[in-house]
Amino acid sequence: MKYQPVPSEIGPERITVMQGQAHVGSGRSEILTTVLGSCIACCLYDPVAQVGGMNHFLLAEPQGGRGTVSDETYGLYLMEVLINEMMKKGASKSRMKAHIYGGANMHAGMTRIGDANAAFASKFLNDESIALVHRDVGGESARRVDFDPVMGRSRCRTVERVAAPTQTPTLRPQKVRGDVELF
Amino acid sequence: MSQNINVLTVDDSASMRALLKAALTSRGYEVVQAVDGVDALEWLDRNPGVDVIVTDINMPRMDGFGLIEALRGQSRFRDCPILVLSTESSDEKKARARSAGATGWIVKPFDADKLDSALRRVTH
Repeated sequence: MKYQPVPSEIGPERITVMQGQAHVGSGRSEILTTVLGSCIACCLYDPVAQVGGMNHFLLAEPQGGRGTVSDETYGLYLMEVLINEMMKKGASKSRMKAHIYGGANMHAGMTRIGDANAAFASKFLNDESIALVHRDVGGESARRVDFDPVMGRSRCRTVERVAAPTQTPTLRPQKVRGDVELF
Repeated sequence: MSQNINVLTVDDSASMRALLKAALTSRGYEVVQAVDGVDALEWLDRNPGVDVIVTDINMPRMDGFGLIEALRGQSRFRDCPILVLSTESSDEKKARARSAGATGWIVKPFDADKLDSALRRVTH
């Protein structure tokens, strides 16, 4: 596994990026962090604007959700939220570089949802012409990811299975599920 | 099936364009696509027009607000329905779109059935 060290100075605020969230660095000293099982975290960074951010998503819907189309739509949504928020802070999509982490298949014999999540992330980045500079995906271990959004550096460590987040997807925000408002 | 309804989608994300095209063509729409506001205006200059336009807001070169304002400034697009499809959902952004001349606002992630229903309503 390839590590890209995060500065160890005391002081940076640690911000946890939960499943279903995207967070862009404020420009202050801070570390974006998350723990992943089969979920994917995508870290994007524009080295010129020194703007970075992380999202954390799982394509699978909770029970009662819709089909594969809405699954993909949800992944696209969280990628687009991250990209748009970075662009608002001066980043350019054409300069963005990506790291992706997670996508573990935590339970042998079950659907390899981690592989599907990782494949989605890789395809998205390829389709959007965003350079994928580092990936650490697959396997059967949970991961903790730390990302410095100002320097664009990340660190990924495997963690004990017991520390892995639940495999049950959290409910998605209903207020952003295709609401239509005609003026 | 919504046969013979021509839709122009405007979005800088190739992934979103592909998803929109699949969702709309499977429901019978004729779909053409542009990558931003400038691309959309250039296509519309060269072609007879469309029945409805679905546009993102955050795009390079010309964003969705600029596109709507440019289209409403042309007499042939004064009555063309224009729906915004965006991850944004603030009242401020919606008010700006409405002021520019948008017909409606749909929040991503979109539901294909709701999008279909909205397109039918604004084109009939």
